[in-house]
Amino acid sequence: MSLLDALPTPRIRWEGQHPNVVLISLSLVMLCAFWTVDVVSLAPNRIVMGTGYGALEAFGWPGVVLITLLLSSIGLFACQPTLPHYRALLTVVVGLMALMPVGLIASGLLLIDPELPQARLGIGTAYWVVLFVLMLCLVEIRLRLNLTRLWPTLLLTGVALVWWLCAALWLDNLALVQEFRARDRQFLTAVGQHIRLVSIAVGVSVVLGLLLAMLMRRYARLQKGAFTLLNFLQTIPSLALFGLLLAPLAWLAAKVPFLAQLGVSGIGTTPALIALIAYSLLPMVRNTYIALEEVSPDTLEAAKGMGMRAGQRFWQVRLPLALPVLLEGVRITTVQAIGLTAVAALIGAGGLGTFIFQGLGQAAMDMVLLGALPILIMALVVDAGLGALAEALRPGGH
Amino acid sequence: MSDQLSVMQSRQQAPMWLWPMLWGALLLISVMGMPYAEALFRWIEPNARQVIYTRAEFYVLLGRHLLVVGVAAAVTIVVGVLAGIAVTRERGHDFLPLVGQLASLGQTFPPVAVLALAVPVLGFGTLPIMVALMLYGLLPIVRNTLTGLQEVDADIKMASHAMGMTPTQTLRQVELPLAAPVILAGIRTSVTINIATAALGATMGASNLGDPIIAGIVNGNMAYVVQGALTIALLALTVDSLFELLQRKLRSRLSTS
Amino acid sequence: MIELSHVSKRFDTEIAVDDISLRVPKGKFCALVGTSGCGKSTTLRMINRLIEHSGGEIILDGQAIEAYDPVKLRRRIGYVIQHTGLFPHWRVARNIGLVPRLLKWPAAEVQARVEELMGLLGLPVGEFGHKYPHQLSGGQAQRVGVARALAADPDILLMDEPFGALDPITREKLQDELAKLQARMQKTVLFVTHDMDEALKLADHLVVMRDGRIVQQGTPLALLQHPADPFVESLLGGLERGLKQAALTRVRDHMTSMGPTLPAQSRIPADFSLRQALSMMLRDHSDRLTVVDQHDVPIGELTLRRIIKEAQFDRGSSRE
Repeated sequence: MSLLDALPTPRIRWEGQHPNVVLISLSLVMLCAFWTVDVVSLAPNRIVMGTGYGALEAFGWPGVVLITLLLSSIGLFACQPTLPHYRALLTVVVGLMALMPVGLIASGLLLIDPELPQARLGIGTAYWVVLFVLMLCLVEIRLRLNLTRLWPTLLLTGVALVWWLCAALWLDNLALVQEFRARDRQFLTAVGQHIRLVSIAVGVSVVLGLLLAMLMRRYARLQKGAFTLLNFLQTIPSLALFGLLLAPLAWLAAKVPFLAQLGVSGIGTTPALIALIAYSLLPMVRNTYIALEEVSPDTLEAAKGMGMRAGQRFWQVRLPLALPVLLEGVRITTVQAIGLTAVAALIGAGGLGTFIFQGLGQAAMDMVLLGALPILIMALVVDAGLGALAEALRPGGH
Repeated sequence: MSDQLSVMQSRQQAPMWLWPMLWGALLLISVMGMPYAEALFRWIEPNARQVIYTRAEFYVLLGRHLLVVGVAAAVTIVVGVLAGIAVTRERGHDFLPLVGQLASLGQTFPPVAVLALAVPVLGFGTLPIMVALMLYGLLPIVRNTLTGLQEVDADIKMASHAMGMTPTQTLRQVELPLAAPVILAGIRTSVTINIATAALGATMGASNLGDPIIAGIVNGNMAYVVQGALTIALLALTVDSLFELLQRKLRSRLSTS
Repeated sequence: MIELSHVSKRFDTEIAVDDISLRVPKGKFCALVGTSGCGKSTTLRMINRLIEHSGGEIILDGQAIEAYDPVKLRRRIGYVIQHTGLFPHWRVARNIGLVPRLLKWPAAEVQARVEELMGLLGLPVGEFGHKYPHQLSGGQAQRVGVARALAADPDILLMDEPFGALDPITREKLQDELAKLQARMQKTVLFVTHDMDEALKLADHLVVMRDGRIVQQGTPLALLQHPADPFVESLLGGLERGLKQAALTRVRDHMTSMGPTLPAQSRIPADFSLRQALSMMLRDHSDRLTVVDQHDVPIGELTLRRIIKEAQFDRGSSRE
């Protein structure tokens, strides 16, 4: 051993520990954005685009110094990335995220004239950039610390709680909050509709997908035809498919009163659901089919050799082994459906897309955010949740 | 033996060309012939004052649509492939985990939400839509470039180094050709998504093939909706079948399977 | 000539190669033998700088390898690996011509060289030149791998378990061909394998490695006669060691002139090994064989007593 210690190994000395260039560059990006781009904007009312304010005006000297120090500390810690430094980095990043609403409160106090309580505080570009980059930092730190997904999820939930608390108690001037207060009922209904549409579409396509995949395994001819058709459907842009369904369904509803009684119409839930299911089938069927096919023939041969009957082989061997890939299919399908349901608002199916398109129509950006942000969050939550479930179900956790 | 092979290949090629030609022809017919199809659309919408969308010619709309998607695609392909190459080189290796995670997370962001979020930051109009499409379309290309390059057999890469190929030679003569099918698949995904997403841009002040649909929905004119939907669908199918053709050609040239 | 002195390699905290020294004279065939993970492949890759060594000195033709440009260095060293590493998108001929093209040989010369090598390795150009690697059998693919390594006529050849993935019959055939090629071309070869029989059959010089260190090195015969420790002995086949030793000795070296008695029934060519002679005796229930030359003319005889007496195999008869 002593001989080895004496070996000249200059090249390797820093191999595990050279500066984390990623975090350093991310820290620089954040500093740039913080110093150069608008942090908040202030508008006298809902429609007028607000005037932007930089960091100095929004936070005052003490705030700017504090945040600059925190942001640069990310870069500084990253220069010598040891385990304690990574832990410190995690604290700084999460702390910054939790501080963000506090900054908004501060700039509200600094900027808003008490005489004009109607003024609306908008979140500026720098805020979004810093938030996004902080997320990237979190991902990077998670990867370097080899944490499971659970940890950042818990931390982010904590951060979200802080945001919610601040929004509920002190951020009355924030445009997003005002927009929500003005239509909180509508918002909750829209969320409900969105979730309902997605669940029905995904639920139906899971059942149909399983059936179709099993039929395909039996009839090879069906396999090629069905995949061709589903691929074809997937290629057609969502707006076009929704549009193409409008006319025939309206015609059907007009000609067949019974269907109209059932709620079929050109506009609304029916065409939305038909299109959503059509889109959901491809990822569902593909993953189910692959999942069932992928199970190693050796394992199945062994199960057969041990004397398991066909039913037992399917339920006890094939299905459990296929489950993670199958769940992966459900994840992709659900995330896709969440996005597509937003488009369905255009044909009157309701859901959060309504806010997006109404807001765009009225040039009310905060209303657009009110629709888009929950959709984004929903997609991320479903993605993380189902991803974690699939990971947990994988034997041996891999 | 080789004669037989080439005969078989040419026999396969005939139907390969068929689909893009068919969809392309239909697209052309629908774009050019739309003003003359009044009788047909009158049947869908007997009571409307006007049944053919005339605010802009369909070929102009198609051109704008193609321009937005085309420029976005050109930028994303260059940037995405370069980024994918950069992080798989030794120097950019530090960024690989983060970029990989981000690229795979990219599928999670719904395109509508991304487009909607782009408007408050970038404003209304064609340019913001183009920027949003670029950002969004980048991720599938980066992801597939990463996958493609990482999937190249380590033995093959080592052999190319050991034979004395420089890193650039290895990249250009070995890694990229072998990763090409996967990269092309990523480009296909990106372009397909962007054709669909660009149509939504019609709600955000961009004028393209989404216009007739939105106008039709707003005015309750089904004929407009069908005209727009049909054209976009045909455009998507034409482009997609072209990619299919390209992928087949690439695969048969690589003949790895 | 390849010379390693006190070479070592550390990955982070792990020591892969620990202070090894060895020398492969020009034109000699040296085999590195050991169980998997003993550092033999790492040693090989340090020579063409696929891995940089962290201590000691590696000298190639009198010059430390750091002095060479790595890319140029690799172009003058042939390299063969187990899974061939052929480029799947290139036809066989293009694969073989890789290094000459990198060296900017004129196209016609590359073409001629490829054809020459394909002929040498039993791959008719007409049949194989236009094929893709995935259309070849394992043995054919490895022939292409060897041809590619030899393409620019390098003095030094590094081979990393080249025949490890082949079935026993193909492996043996390729070993025989490699031995013939080597006899003709006299390359300086460093050959990594975990198959001791392969090493004994091909090598002039044998190096046994374990846990990153060299346990013993010497001629095959020297190792068989005096294994340094039980590990080397077990690698050499334990109880079968006698037979392996016999396999390395030619009948020619131990035959005696024809005795007074009648010639024996069984005939054995003079360049067969003593192991084959023993097998023949067992088969024919005889303790005497007639040794013949290549024209089947008797030139001497070999007796069981002589084989057993000579079992010490005088040291002078090693193949060097």
